Amino acid sequence: MTTFRHAHTRTTLFGGTAALALALTACGAPSSGGSASGDGTVTITVGDRPSADQAAARAFFDRRVQEFHQAHPGIRIEPSETVWDVQTFQANVAGGTLPDVIKVPFTEIQSLIARRQVADITDELKAVGLADQLNPQTLKIVQGRDGRIYGVPVLPYAIGLFYNRALFEKAGLDPAKPPRTWDEVRTAAKAIAEKTGQAGYAQMTTENTGGWMLTAQSYSMGGSIESEDGSKATFDDAATRNALTYLKQMRWEDDSMGTNFLYNMNDIAKDFAAGKIGMFLSVPSAAYQAAVTNFGMAKEDVGLTAVPTGPGNDNRVLSGGSVEIVNPKASPAEKAAALKWIRFFDLHKYIDQEAAVADAKATAQDGGAVGIPRLSPVAPETFERYESWIAGHVNVPLENFTGYTGDLATVQLKTEPVRSAQEVYAVLDTVLQKVLTDKDADIAALLAEAVATVDAKLARAPR
Amino acid sequence: MIRPSPARWPRRVDPGAALLALPLVLVFLYFSWGPIVRGLVMSFQQTNFVSGSTWVGWENFTYVLGDPLLPTAIGNTLWYGLLCLVFGFPLPVFLAVVISELRRRKGLYSALAYLPVVFPPVVAILLWKVFYDPSADGLFNTVLGWAGIDPLPWLNTGTTAMPALVLEATWANAGTNVIIYLAALTGVRTELYEAAELDGAGIWRRIWHVTLPQIRGITVVLILLQIIGTAQVFTEPFLFTGGGPDNATMTILLMVYNYAFINGDYGAATALSLMLAVVLCVFAGIYQLATRKLGRDS
Repeated sequence: MTTFRHAHTRTTLFGGTAALALALTACGAPSSGGSASGDGTVTITVGDRPSADQAAARAFFDRRVQEFHQAHPGIRIEPSETVWDVQTFQANVAGGTLPDVIKVPFTEIQSLIARRQVADITDELKAVGLADQLNPQTLKIVQGRDGRIYGVPVLPYAIGLFYNRALFEKAGLDPAKPPRTWDEVRTAAKAIAEKTGQAGYAQMTTENTGGWMLTAQSYSMGGSIESEDGSKATFDDAATRNALTYLKQMRWEDDSMGTNFLYNMNDIAKDFAAGKIGMFLSVPSAAYQAAVTNFGMAKEDVGLTAVPTGPGNDNRVLSGGSVEIVNPKASPAEKAAALKWIRFFDLHKYIDQEAAVADAKATAQDGGAVGIPRLSPVAPETFERYESWIAGHVNVPLENFTGYTGDLATVQLKTEPVRSAQEVYAVLDTVLQKVLTDKDADIAALLAEAVATVDAKLARAPR
Repeated sequence: MIRPSPARWPRRVDPGAALLALPLVLVFLYFSWGPIVRGLVMSFQQTNFVSGSTWVGWENFTYVLGDPLLPTAIGNTLWYGLLCLVFGFPLPVFLAVVISELRRRKGLYSALAYLPVVFPPVVAILLWKVFYDPSADGLFNTVLGWAGIDPLPWLNTGTTAMPALVLEATWANAGTNVIIYLAALTGVRTELYEAAELDGAGIWRRIWHVTLPQIRGITVVLILLQIIGTAQVFTEPFLFTGGGPDNATMTILLMVYNYAFINGDYGAATALSLMLAVVLCVFAGIYQLATRKLGRDS
């Protein structure tokens, strides 16, 4: 889940009309973006074309489109800059302007499946021979309860713990030995707060990122958020209680969490880059890019390690990533063309050295990070070969990430809550905020109340 | 049946004029009323925009009314509106009176008062978010420190978050009303001041007995607009706090937004919007009647 939200029209304090509140939807003719012309050429629109400020990546994307046209004369690609945006996705579906192929976060895919806003691509996936090339662990994420496949997982990752190596040194801690358990996190956080005056550990709490990270913490102690079929909330268990207890102790007993308890994804990376935060949980690629590329943190100060564990740990870690989905209104011919494009654009680089190197070079030229450790969307040995191809272009300090990469091959991925993940996260955001801003918060009571709220929401969610 | 008096209806509609107005009317109908009507319809439906909509009767309404967050959101919205009315509303009146009493550089001061309105709201809010840094070296906390006051958590506790939002909103929006009041004040008859002065009235009594009654009409309208505006507060909680901490700044419109865009539940979103619109319409009607009666009585 990546929620960098955009500006919104302001309802002025001294004006505005009730009509505004109603003006939620624009009318539009429902139709798919793609079409088949008389000569048998299938045209599909493809989202996620890099914007003009990413010149090299954009040129690379456009070149790939040309190459695809040469390889598949019967298919025309119309690139679009449309990307996943929580505010426009529904309107795009309603207005028929959703591209035929677009990436969405892992968090959303199960809700989209439940709402039938995404195409079933099981047959087409088999037809292009992708079904058995993909990593079965991540493929689970895009399967509906009917066993059908609704997307192609690309760019998967596991959540990690970022730490500021410079602050570790100042606090007398060894940056080569980051904490591996939540007890060690607490000790390190306390040392950082006492020696440097900065927040030892900080936590995202807003825009549903709080619930998301609490899920990662709960999983690290063997917990769960929802029952497997998503019909019941299960987070009033020992794992989530322990996760919140650690936070409560750090906040109120140790005073090692600083003063800001309303962090979103962007703000926490900003304060981390500014040296105000010792440790926090986030997405490796997004948080590294934000801290180093956007906020100018020295890359040698960035440390990344696996999510710490606690009592009950069962070697599972919360995963995330992007899924290529196909427009639910696409025709069978368009779906087939879409799958060919996904195979060509997202997965070809894992089997073609030239494409892998060109991709890495374009990313580096735009100032992007190459080589941030992540999970494999394809079979593990294929991915290892790909990593060796791009090794010469890696521009991140991999030696500082060994705590993360060491575990990556052996951990089991655990998916996000299968039903209404965002709504569940929103409720958990509130629980977190309460624990961090109210000294007398009763964790067990809060969780019991939250479970009741979530159960009511799950009862309404489409099945 | 009463026929409309001929004087109120133009005898002939000029076809040229009608043709000129037509595109505008159509655009207005489509873009202004289209979404309103669509929203009305959708509040009785469940839809995924793909495979057609199903009618669900009042289900969306019962769901929204049963949402445990709704009372909190209503309470917060009322609290925000009240704070804005108590602290945000008198300020522009005060500023306008002060500026109008100045002998020199009136233009400069009214421009300064209006300046925050020119700021793009998102920029202003993100800027204030930095000012509200809860650590001791945050901008506002540094200023408080000079006066020997301990750092405030600003947005980070349930008690201070909403007043912090109101503070920014007042700063950002007061300018518009200052300009409107200044314009209204130019219409106040100066001989009334002279008469009051001859009767020995000081400045406060002149303001209370001459100025305020003279701008009463505009004040009544602005109060109504402000209440309707504050009932729909969205940008501030959305950008400052996302509704937190612990739902302390969750407002009705933020709930509508979350229903629609986070949950993809347009039925619930439009149902809540519709209820808010109806409540505001009823309120506006009652307010109009009450102030008209008050105007006649006084």
